[in-house]
Amino acid sequence: MISRRLQLTCLTLAIFCLDASALDAPFASTYQPPPSPERVIANVRILIGNGEEIERGSVRIREGRIVEVTPGSVAPPAPGIVIDGEGKWLTPGIIDVHSHLGVYPSPGYSPHSDGNESTAPVTAEVWAEHSVWPQDPQFPLALAGGVTSLQILPGSANLIGGRSVVLKNVSARTVHDMKFPGAPHGLKMACGENPKRVYGTQGRLPTTRMGNIAATRAAWISADEYRQQWQSYQDKKAHFESGEPDKDKEEDKEKDPPEPPVRNLQLETLAAVLDGEIRVHNHCYRADEMALMIEIAQEFGYKIASFQHAVESYKIADLLRDEGICSAMWADWGRFKLESFDAIEENIALVEKAGACAIVHSDSATDVQRLNQEAAKALAAGRRMGLSISEAQAMRWLTLNAAQSLGIDELTGSVETGKMADLVLWDGNPFSVYTRAEKVLIDGVLVFDRTTGLLPSTDFELGTGAGR
Amino acid sequence: MKTRSILFMAGLLIASAVHAKDVLITNGRIITMGPAGIIESGNVLVRDGKIVAVGQQVTAANAEIVDANGGFVTPGFFDSGTQIGLGDVESSTIRTDQRVRETDLGAGFPIALTFDRNSIEIPIVRIEGVTRAIVRPSAGSKVFAGQSAIIQMSGSEATIVDRSNAVFALLGEGSRSLAGGSRAKALLDVVDGLNEALAYSKNRRAFEARKLRDLRQSPLDLEALIPIVEGKKPLAIVANKASDIELILENLEPFKLKLVIVGGAEAWQVAPLLADRQVPVVLNPLRNLPSNFDQLASSLSSAAKLVEAGVMVAFMTEEQTSEFRSLTQGAGVAVANGLAWQDALDAITINPAVIWGIEKDYGTLEPGMDADVVIWDGDPLEVMSAPTAVMIEGAFVDLRSRQTLLRDRYAELEGNEMPFGYR
Repeated sequence: MISRRLQLTCLTLAIFCLDASALDAPFASTYQPPPSPERVIANVRILIGNGEEIERGSVRIREGRIVEVTPGSVAPPAPGIVIDGEGKWLTPGIIDVHSHLGVYPSPGYSPHSDGNESTAPVTAEVWAEHSVWPQDPQFPLALAGGVTSLQILPGSANLIGGRSVVLKNVSARTVHDMKFPGAPHGLKMACGENPKRVYGTQGRLPTTRMGNIAATRAAWISADEYRQQWQSYQDKKAHFESGEPDKDKEEDKEKDPPEPPVRNLQLETLAAVLDGEIRVHNHCYRADEMALMIEIAQEFGYKIASFQHAVESYKIADLLRDEGICSAMWADWGRFKLESFDAIEENIALVEKAGACAIVHSDSATDVQRLNQEAAKALAAGRRMGLSISEAQAMRWLTLNAAQSLGIDELTGSVETGKMADLVLWDGNPFSVYTRAEKVLIDGVLVFDRTTGLLPSTDFELGTGAGR
Repeated sequence: MKTRSILFMAGLLIASAVHAKDVLITNGRIITMGPAGIIESGNVLVRDGKIVAVGQQVTAANAEIVDANGGFVTPGFFDSGTQIGLGDVESSTIRTDQRVRETDLGAGFPIALTFDRNSIEIPIVRIEGVTRAIVRPSAGSKVFAGQSAIIQMSGSEATIVDRSNAVFALLGEGSRSLAGGSRAKALLDVVDGLNEALAYSKNRRAFEARKLRDLRQSPLDLEALIPIVEGKKPLAIVANKASDIELILENLEPFKLKLVIVGGAEAWQVAPLLADRQVPVVLNPLRNLPSNFDQLASSLSSAAKLVEAGVMVAFMTEEQTSEFRSLTQGAGVAVANGLAWQDALDAITINPAVIWGIEKDYGTLEPGMDADVVIWDGDPLEVMSAPTAVMIEGAFVDLRSRQTLLRDRYAELEGNEMPFGYR
């Protein structure tokens, strides 16, 4: 487990920080962007991602980082490859906080549909990254839509589905070559219909919403006990290693080191949540259920980073703002289940209006290709009901707010100096249905260029005609 | 008064409004979809549910004037693949009437018998400018799924335009479990089923006297297939794989059908064949994933490629009506991927009118057509545009829906003394 202090230090310094102890930890990120030349994107309209914009400016990229963001025209620019942004828009790379790419890949057949370990209601021990197929043709399709990072989650069959992972949307042979360096893990939780339907048909707990809550609380109780056992062990070990005599005993010191508790992968993940190292992303639709999940979080002392789908967030947006919980939502999807019956087009805009953190997510391999359009629909719905929301602020729903909920906002999510050069150049206003991403950079590397046909293809696409 | 009955009452009022004053829509950028093309600063005169005149000089004495403020004016759009009105919640726990299992019913299953014109979905969809749709059955236990219906979105008694406009069938990967495990048998079931219908239609008396060979289909199914084999109504086959489409065309050629390919993910690969046989394709323009081995060549530029080869294309949302805006958004995305803007509009107006056989009454803004007219606040295909007024068969519809009522209840969270339930 990485120490909290070291993690915070890395994030504060906002440098590539492959945490030293994490290198020893299994499944650490091995992501290494290839070298890239210095670049200037000039004379472009910039939506910064934090709610501000620069009508005309330039961005300089060096060694994978944004080093300058300068308002005004540039003519002629200083050294570096110049990308002409005339008539175009530049935004941070889109971050999709709810994706099953790789774990529910195309083609969708059961031999590699691995998103839900629906064999027990609590499976905190599984990690979504271990189900990711890096050759899923959905990844490059999302890239062509301007998506540079994705949170891949387990599904919502379980109350606690397992660890999520943040990935860079890069072509790679292994999932750990895609893993976002410095991003904390997430924990997928789910309330509502799905878990009680899955286990209800098996005649086991939970079959009701009250069963959902009871089983969830039971899991956290076990986690709390486990955490205390390990804390107690750490204390005894530290005391043992210090060599001091135990003042309560007559012998000089204990002869044998203390025995660690039995390692339990499930409780280890949950304990890490209680330690604040893993962020909770809670699939939940109904306002009343979100309130219950907040109660559980308070009972056990963890924070919910985001509610996902959050179809009824508009009903409790004030509560969500006060709790500092993000809502990851759809622009207009609803009525496919009873718990999404109250979906409205103005959900995202009303969450924004209340001052709460609003995110547009996809949970879809088709919508992920057009998240900019989804944000546009939400923006338009908000304006039609009389809310004043700028395009620059709406872009925040896809970028900095998403990054904040994932704990990577120091590293990416806005066009600001020092951050990773994860950027999208659009061939027009990104809120238009006719606009497409023209170029995408990840850590300063040009990974997609529509004008030259530069786009990686996954192995599955070779010779099958798929993905184009 | 419960919200559902408010909207139901509004529907009744709207229906009666058909016999009221003329309506003159003025100052619109009129997309006629006909030979008149686009009329700048034009007017549309509506009387008794029909369009009577379109043009810059059109005036009327004693008409209700509706100013389009220079906005686009289009026909109401047509979604060629939905399950609107079959259950207010899409989940299989609640919407279950769209297919039948463990019965002998196939082509004879009429979806119109389960259609609810008071469905909360109708107000939600029509305020997005979609005024017409195909409501189609899903295949349950037979390759022939049943008969689709055409609806308009007024919610009045006139909602069902055609109770049985086409027969739908499912072939390809999804049909295997309906046909003993092989798509080959599924195709044979279609061929066989059509042959039975031909035999039955020519020998009804012998059939009733039990002097005809045993037929596998029931009389309900056989009756439903007669207009199909007579070439009067379309046979809409859901198929995606290029090789399946070729086999379908080859094996059904002898029947002289009005064939429509629905889905058609790989249809663009056999576009010349489809153009040559004049077989139209209904597709979801947002579909481009290689979701299974029938759809590997799925592509956002499908529509553009088909149209370029001379194939007639219509768009559908494929029961994704829970994504309220997808029809116009899909059309816009098709334009972003190579389709001409005018062709994209064809795919949601005159093309479905022709494919589904209602072109005499719907599809253009021309005299004599049903007055399905929409006034927009921007380009109708843009995701940030929305209708400012929607007229269906001459009457403007209420732009409220269940969703607008929820929105209004929760628009202000602060500073209320009474509980939200009083709003």
